[in-house]
Amino acid sequence: MTTVDHGDDSPVVVIGSGAGGGTVAYELTKQGVPVVLLEAGPRLSPEDYVNDEWKAFNQMAWLDPRTTSGSFRLARDFPNLPAWTVKAVGGTTTHYSGATPRFKDYEFKTRSTYGPVDGTSLLDWPITLEELEPYYDRAEIKLGSTHRHGRPPLPANNNYKVLANGAERIGYRQYATGPYATNAEPYDGRPGSIQDGFNFQGDKNTSKWSINVREIPKALATGNLDLRPNSHAVQITTDASGRADGVLYIDPEGNLQRQRARVVSLAAGTIETPRLLLMSASPRFPDGLANSSGHVGRHYMRHTTGSVYARFDQPVHMYRGEAMAGIIGDEVRHDPDRGFASGYYLETIALGPAFLAAFADPGAWGPEFTKVLDSYENTAGLWIVGEDMPQETNRVTLDPTATDKHGLPVPHVHFDDHPNDVAMREHGYRQAEMLYDAVGATGAHRTPPYPSTHNLGTARMSARPEDGVVDSYGRAHDVPNLFVSDSSVFTTGAAANPLLTIVALATRQADFVLDELRKGNL
Amino acid sequence: MTPPESNPQSVTTTLTDDARRVLVRVIQVAFPHPRFPDAPYERTAQRIIDAARESTWSWLQLTQGLRSLDDLASGSFVDADDEQAFALLRGIEQTDFFNLIRRLSVLNLYDDHEVWDLLGYEGPSFEKGGYLHRGFNDLDWLPEPRITEYDAEAEAAAKAGADAGTDTAGSAGQPGSTEQLGSPEQPPPERSPAATSRDAGNQPSAAETTMTEVTR
Repeated sequence: MTTVDHGDDSPVVVIGSGAGGGTVAYELTKQGVPVVLLEAGPRLSPEDYVNDEWKAFNQMAWLDPRTTSGSFRLARDFPNLPAWTVKAVGGTTTHYSGATPRFKDYEFKTRSTYGPVDGTSLLDWPITLEELEPYYDRAEIKLGSTHRHGRPPLPANNNYKVLANGAERIGYRQYATGPYATNAEPYDGRPGSIQDGFNFQGDKNTSKWSINVREIPKALATGNLDLRPNSHAVQITTDASGRADGVLYIDPEGNLQRQRARVVSLAAGTIETPRLLLMSASPRFPDGLANSSGHVGRHYMRHTTGSVYARFDQPVHMYRGEAMAGIIGDEVRHDPDRGFASGYYLETIALGPAFLAAFADPGAWGPEFTKVLDSYENTAGLWIVGEDMPQETNRVTLDPTATDKHGLPVPHVHFDDHPNDVAMREHGYRQAEMLYDAVGATGAHRTPPYPSTHNLGTARMSARPEDGVVDSYGRAHDVPNLFVSDSSVFTTGAAANPLLTIVALATRQADFVLDELRKGNL
Repeated sequence: MTPPESNPQSVTTTLTDDARRVLVRVIQVAFPHPRFPDAPYERTAQRIIDAARESTWSWLQLTQGLRSLDDLASGSFVDADDEQAFALLRGIEQTDFFNLIRRLSVLNLYDDHEVWDLLGYEGPSFEKGGYLHRGFNDLDWLPEPRITEYDAEAEAAAKAGADAGTDTAGSAGQPGSTEQLGSPEQPPPERSPAATSRDAGNQPSAAETTMTEVTR
């Protein structure tokens, strides 16, 4: 690994090593650009990953304090855990399921397609599906998404058999075991899945694509990457002309360091990215860096989600195999006749008893609760994941009353469900119950949203600087050499799991940065 | 619940065997599983005791709460029948005492490996080669579904072939359900009132959907 001097102002400094930051670091180092990659968490190896839900959670989850408010149920059940993201090299790609659908064309044009929806801040993206398609192709090839570019599908596991048969019987057709970024057979130096059922815990077998098993080793091999784990960025600094010129971070020994930078790529995740921009306020940028529009931290989205766990009189063993290798796309369409705008996927999900008990109905106890666990062996599960409505007031701010162990202000997450979100979730619950009834369910349990794994939209893309924080390349409207590279840039959330789109956008951004570097513009 | 200042000795008081039995009984009543023996409940009680010892406040909650349960049960909580004990716990479910036990029970009882066995969960699999050769696809009470993405043309061709009485296999994958329900273009039907049981009592949605403008 290369070592860049703190005073060297030639590198691109990337903050955060998840899907966005890891992709930018890989694409730039591959083309000979020196990169310093700051990651707040440790570097875990696949040998470190464990087949145990709580042990893995405590090993990798981002557990730094956060506070919450709003009508969403998490504010009551898990007030300090609004989001379920990962603090380790690779970021949340370590925990994500592997589901990799693309956005639909209309999902880039939500304001035009849905029209005005009361209480929302819908906006069309400054980029179209057509423009992003070549990058979706590149992303799918990197990830080895099943069903794409010649990659074979994963086989049906037990949970999928229930899902797919139920889907067929209620008239759904758009179901399959993917696209899913886990190898069905060896690809790109990594083995085929052994269906161990622990891909949410990092996937010890490395069949699942993640930044930590693919991009990081390849980037290190170029000799252009200076990877700094356990290095927590706390501020982006600017020079007299208002350009970003460095990043302050707390090093593994707890000392404050400053790394000079030619370009800064901010990819700390949808809660930490706006936090860092707000913490970078200065007399020159009193409302925070890149925030002349006032949009930093606003339009926080988390997808409309929920689960249904259905009981049968015969065994399912849903936990065996790839947890989310089952996707139904029939409800992904804008059809206001259903009583709400936009659409949602239904995807298989499986939890062990430990997590099912913790998340099935937080706060519940008694025989109604234990019935869910008693049926564990005969239970099938699915996850509803759909587009939630952006709202200006759903927002990440700095909590004026709470600080973390470094004395820094804690991020505060405010979220109210929009009536459209509530109607979509209700529709999803009903369709899921009907699906399971069609294959003989004897009962079903509705589970509320888990702490959010899909966190979107707090530094959104916009064509006009007054409507958002960054342009279509993720470049800050206010700061020409500052890029946001994670899902904070999502103008709206779409129904799809965000991973593939984060990688596609970050790949496109890296191409743009390389081009600008070559032209001497950065 | 207010701290029991009147009884400061309780902080250092060790838990009596009676109190431990009350705690086990509380967990059994709150999380009843007819299939479970006493051992997992006893281990969970021990973990709650260990966790509560880490803070004076938790320890006060636990020890004073357990002591008061016998009084609330007019003598002996352990001897109260299931119905009485459950009703008593419902009455105190908002207290810090009960929430401490509930939260730590959920975390520990269902993370107990004997409980995993009892529930039919096999747990860690990587060291055994995953579930690839240990039943990840052994469900045999439903037909083998298609795994590839939907191909409308292939499916239509297959259907046309079937209608004509010829044996045409669809290239979209294995045949799915033997039932043919609805055409692909037809939107999925809305659900009808179901006969199966629903535990949706935890959901705020029933009230909240009245807020939603449904433009059907």
